[in-house]
Amino acid sequence: MPVNLALGHVSNDFLLAALALYSLAVLAFAGDFAFGRPLRAVAAAASKPARTLATVGAGSVPADAGDSKTSLVSMPELRVPALRALFQATAWVRGAMALSMAGVTAHAVAVITRGFATHRAPWGDMYEFVTALTCFAAIFFLGVMIRYRAWALGVFVMGAVVLTLGLTETLIYTPAGDLVPALQSYWLSIHVTAMTVATGVFFVSAVLGIVYLAVDWYTRRVAAGRAKPGNGIVHRLPTLEQLDRLAYRTVVFGFPIWTFGVIAGAIWADQAWGRYWGWDPVETWAFITWVIYAAFLHARATAGWRGRRAHYVQLLGFISLVFNIMVVQIFVTGLHSYAGVS
Amino acid sequence: MPKPKRRVVVLAATVCAGVLAVVLLVTAFGGSGGGNVTYIGGNTNAVLYTAGHQPKAPDFSGTTLTGSRLGLAEYRGDVVVLNFWGSWCPPCRAEATTLAFAAQQYHSAGVRFLGVDVRDNTPGALDFLHSHHITYPSVSDPDDTITLDFSSVVPIADTPSTLVIDKTGHIAGAVFGEVSYQELTTLLGKVTAGKSGSAND
Amino acid sequence: MTELRTSEVDKDGFPVQEATAPAPAASPAPPQSSPSASNHWLRWAWRQLTSMRIALILLFLLALGAIPGSMLPQEGSDPGGVRQYFRAHPSVAPLLNHLGLFNVFAAPWFAAIYLLLFTSLVGCVVPRTFRLAGSARTLPPRAPRQLSKLPHSAEYPVSLSTEQALEVSSRVLSGHGFRLRRPGDLNAMTRQPSPGERDWVSAEKGYLREAGNLLFHLSLLGVLVSIAMGGLLGYKADRLLIAGQTFANTTTDLDEFYPGRLVSGSDLPPFSITLDKFNASYITSGPQLGQPAAFDAYVTYHAHPGDTVRKFDIQVNHPLNVDGAKVYLIGHGYAPVFKVTDASGHVEYDEATPFISGTAANFLSQGVVKVADAQPEGLGFTGVFVPTAAVDASGNLASVFPAPDRPVVSLIAYGGNLGMNTGASQSVYALDTTGMTQLTPKPVVLAQGQTLKLPGGKGSITFAGYQLWGSFTITHDPGQLPALACGIGALAGLLLSFLVRRRRVFVRVRPADSGSVVSLGGLARTDASGGFEAEFAALAAELRAAHESTESQQESGD
Repeated sequence: MPVNLALGHVSNDFLLAALALYSLAVLAFAGDFAFGRPLRAVAAAASKPARTLATVGAGSVPADAGDSKTSLVSMPELRVPALRALFQATAWVRGAMALSMAGVTAHAVAVITRGFATHRAPWGDMYEFVTALTCFAAIFFLGVMIRYRAWALGVFVMGAVVLTLGLTETLIYTPAGDLVPALQSYWLSIHVTAMTVATGVFFVSAVLGIVYLAVDWYTRRVAAGRAKPGNGIVHRLPTLEQLDRLAYRTVVFGFPIWTFGVIAGAIWADQAWGRYWGWDPVETWAFITWVIYAAFLHARATAGWRGRRAHYVQLLGFISLVFNIMVVQIFVTGLHSYAGVS
Repeated sequence: MPKPKRRVVVLAATVCAGVLAVVLLVTAFGGSGGGNVTYIGGNTNAVLYTAGHQPKAPDFSGTTLTGSRLGLAEYRGDVVVLNFWGSWCPPCRAEATTLAFAAQQYHSAGVRFLGVDVRDNTPGALDFLHSHHITYPSVSDPDDTITLDFSSVVPIADTPSTLVIDKTGHIAGAVFGEVSYQELTTLLGKVTAGKSGSAND
Repeated sequence: MTELRTSEVDKDGFPVQEATAPAPAASPAPPQSSPSASNHWLRWAWRQLTSMRIALILLFLLALGAIPGSMLPQEGSDPGGVRQYFRAHPSVAPLLNHLGLFNVFAAPWFAAIYLLLFTSLVGCVVPRTFRLAGSARTLPPRAPRQLSKLPHSAEYPVSLSTEQALEVSSRVLSGHGFRLRRPGDLNAMTRQPSPGERDWVSAEKGYLREAGNLLFHLSLLGVLVSIAMGGLLGYKADRLLIAGQTFANTTTDLDEFYPGRLVSGSDLPPFSITLDKFNASYITSGPQLGQPAAFDAYVTYHAHPGDTVRKFDIQVNHPLNVDGAKVYLIGHGYAPVFKVTDASGHVEYDEATPFISGTAANFLSQGVVKVADAQPEGLGFTGVFVPTAAVDASGNLASVFPAPDRPVVSLIAYGGNLGMNTGASQSVYALDTTGMTQLTPKPVVLAQGQTLKLPGGKGSITFAGYQLWGSFTITHDPGQLPALACGIGALAGLLLSFLVRRRRVFVRVRPADSGSVVSLGGLARTDASGGFEAEFAALAAELRAAHESTESQQESGD
């Protein structure tokens, strides 16, 4: 079936629109930092069941990370329904969220129309892969922001999405086209979908990990007396424990998807190349990435490795993932060279 | 479960795993034994099948390189040297003189030589026979069916291979790979004297 | 894995509360001199091996060790690349070879890493499996006295008696699938409990989490065993087949044969395959001009001599299954047909000769023709086949499209001894020209049907036409399905261990003026990622509601 080039152009237009909307959203999130009210406006809004229970211990919004009662720091999850919390936030946050949602919609339309243009799942070459994974990352992170009221993290994650999409558009744009026969299989949809979604999720956890490390670095500097406490940005962010838990939960969400993706890839490799595992460079690096994320999960349960060290491991895992996509798939000869990048 | 008992179980499990690993390694490296064959001159690729362990040669028929029909059944009652070869194969070229000479030498003793030409083109094969002075016929095997039939009874691994079939139609011995004059005459000596299965050389 | 135990966590991974859990096991002291000092050292070494920290280090080593396996060419998949590396880096390559870096995944040091990792895994998982089996029968611990000290707690008054309140609580909790323990449940309690000690219920849930964790780790072990099984009992073979040719699955008829350690040629299933026709189509317009569109290898086959003959279309991603083996289409190319005659016209060679394109663009292919028995002297030709010929900027012959629209061959002829009579093996794609003289000073380009007459009456060669060939890989891997099953098991175990939380809920009821006061407390395992707070709140609300409804039932019933 011939490629629908007109629809391909439509897809690209929607992507540019998404890029513009995301950029405005990032500006609005930044505006909240500069001009908005301090965070944690949800403290007072306790729901009915909470009022009748004289809860002792962790149940209220954690004020400082030093509360001895709250050895298990909680997230203010079911205190207030999500959308009500959104409406109680500052105008900057509301605007930023609206722009983000519009951007995600445009982004999703771009990905979907690309799929219709090429009559296949829209993640067959490098350009499509990056646009799709950032779309999944953005959708996933929107969900996270709403569930955990983590608007403060918006500027970082959406900013990373903008950066990635911008680089993709300028450097590796490929017009919609057909795939080589080796890729025309329904296992393409399954394997690459899983890898794309998992990469999107790990994208979010990597950004959260960087935020964690930055806040941790600042906290240690304050403790050592080398920096003034009360930094405006840090105070608007969740506590270290919350950031750690959020990043951990994100990895926990992505790890089974990555595992499934590796298994699906093995099934596809067996169909196409006659063996389910052959230590092809891309296969090997997917394995390395898997092992590093497994190490992260282990590190979190090992004394002395929680906190900063564990997040170094997590970032190492993401770096190996990116290395796999950007370097190994393109430059190292193997059976996987279908990136479509010349 | 009390601690000592648990430790014993773990230790037992590890020991079992270790034993299993050792067994696997040994079987992997172990060679095949054999009271079924004796080796000629210490070459494990030149074998003599002991009496009672001589496989029956599968019957076949085909077209020779010169276009006539030929079948193994026509040779029943004679000792047959069956040689698998191809003009593209350097070891086949190296042994061709030996085979041509032996064919002449053993003709009066009633030994017949027959070739099976594998994966070859007919003009090239005919020129090969001509330039190496081979006068015995060769059946063409383009579909590898003859090779397949024989592979199921003897482990033909490569080209060339030479089999010696006795008067009853059983495979008495074989050389897998290039055959030397020494090995061929030893084999033929045992078969024509009817003494296959005695002590190896 | 055995987590390094600190004073915070009991043996089931819950934070230690006073009067709840037994004193945590002391961390193993370094060995001291004693009658069985070596025994102590062994036990200490074993404890270290199965610790989380060592597992972490081994995981890093595994990842690190795999890196050279992906960056350097490996013997198993790219032996040509390894030779090329030796030529390009003659000083470094032997050292790397000595370290086993050209065959990393079969190297002993790599095996040592994953074997140690799996030993560590087994040493951890097996005791925990026994512990889990044991815990299927053990009960939750007794409720602590001070529930308010737990991370999650709540308290409210009810107008029910203590027994009724406890009854309602037990009903609600067991309705949620909690395993309950009430005072007097344990046989070990020999003395009569004093009043006030009877008014509690302990509830625990989430044992599946540990089961999932163990399933995941054991499945990984299963994957390793499956891979080993495939390596021992499986095999891989390659065969190039020209359109019209037939081959039978025996070692002599295969181009390459890689048997597993326990496999011999006689284990090969005796099927035959004929390549009737090969179809290759390419994209003829647009930005992907020249890219492959579809490949089809139409074959006829039978599983063993005498079996019914069947037809099949082997495509990429679509292998043929025959008698336990799978036949995959890996590549294809062109086999130009050459006819070589001597000076008098006697045909010495007439065959389609496979030419190989390798990584060349648009199927520019190379090959040789060997006519060792030509008269008066042997002849050899090196050639290039160009499917759609054009002359590029520097005057060289190039192929501009992969389909055979304007096929030509370019030949160089040699005469003399091809070196095949010594018996040493030669590649069928390479000509050894030492001992031969070049007969044509420059390469000669022939279109289809054209003939090159060789000087000195040595004969002629005609480019008579071309055929297509397909290359096939035949594989058999008995470890394939077990590996898949274990992979799915690992995924299932992973999901279970992430989604299920091990948690405990306690209820204490004490008498008060107008009934009783119900105290609730709850906690989850320390490495749970949260969410228990929401569950506790919901549970508390439901208990409260259940108590109130029983109250109103009582009031209406009275």
